[in-house]
Amino acid sequence: MTRRWLAGSAFAVAGLLALAAGFHFGASSTDGDVEDPRGEGSAALLGVALPDATGRQQSLAQWKGKVLVVNFWATWCTPCRAEMPEFVKAQREFGDRGLQFVGIAIDQPDKVQEFAAELGLNYPTLIGGYGAIELSKTLGNRLGALPFTIVIDRSGRIVHTRLGPFAEPALRSILGQLL
Amino acid sequence: MPVGRACALTLGLSIASAVGGTAQAQVKLLEPERAFAFSVQALDERTVEARYAIADGYYLYREKLKFSVEPGALGSAPTFPAGKMKQDEFFGRVETYRGMLAISLSLDEARPGRQVTVRAESQGCADAGVCYPPQVQNVTLRLPASGGPPGPPVAASPARKSWFN
Repeated sequence: MTRRWLAGSAFAVAGLLALAAGFHFGASSTDGDVEDPRGEGSAALLGVALPDATGRQQSLAQWKGKVLVVNFWATWCTPCRAEMPEFVKAQREFGDRGLQFVGIAIDQPDKVQEFAAELGLNYPTLIGGYGAIELSKTLGNRLGALPFTIVIDRSGRIVHTRLGPFAEPALRSILGQLL
Repeated sequence: MPVGRACALTLGLSIASAVGGTAQAQVKLLEPERAFAFSVQALDERTVEARYAIADGYYLYREKLKFSVEPGALGSAPTFPAGKMKQDEFFGRVETYRGMLAISLSLDEARPGRQVTVRAESQGCADAGVCYPPQVQNVTLRLPASGGPPGPPVAASPARKSWFN
């Protein structure tokens, strides 16, 4: 494993984590409706900028106003890979209604690119490194495990977090209420 | 259907039925350092045994296990016990470990009475459908004197907590 991308990504996220300091959901279950009345969690998340697989910095704020599904994942994580075709399908079906998936990969760019091509990924995925695991911890992913998915409504409020694969009916039910 | 898949499916269904209601799925998952509790015991002045006590419902990937020692080096590549072959839908047949795993590590030279640090890298998942990022654990222990009795098992100290916890 190369240390450089880990260290680099950690630095990229570290500064932004300051925004999230003190903010903690403390969730211990795998799945939940989230209380984020003041939008602090999503403010921290939407303040993040990470490189995409080509190295270009992408700010999550560019998708503000959409129903945003942020999925922390990795190519080495089988349950992550297994649920992503479902996300591709949902993005295709509901993209024009304002749904935007964004992946944050705890991974190396070349592996991400390879898997994205294989899957026909139709939404952006950013490269987070271990720093992104720390970021996800501030958003309720207490264990830092994957996959971890956050649903943000159009007003920028986190309405749902999920540790572990999103069952398709559950995902569609949540999205149905937001779109 | 593999047990893991069945569990994940059951979990998925229970979550699906809970969505929209007030009920939440309460699957308690363990911290990685508890799911994969790591310890090392010095057997003699040249050999240590690395051990993982893997909690029920969790597994480690053999190919992700890496060991090194400081100072010096391992005298030979560690011998891994036979694991359980798992058919992974993406990675094909992969070898995994569950329960107790012990791996004997032989140092490049005897270091009686000296201190060594064993560095172990591992990566595993839970049957519930989550994977943990690769984890590095260090254990520092003193090797017994020449001909002395084995040392006590030394557990890895808890992972550093992130600064906002």
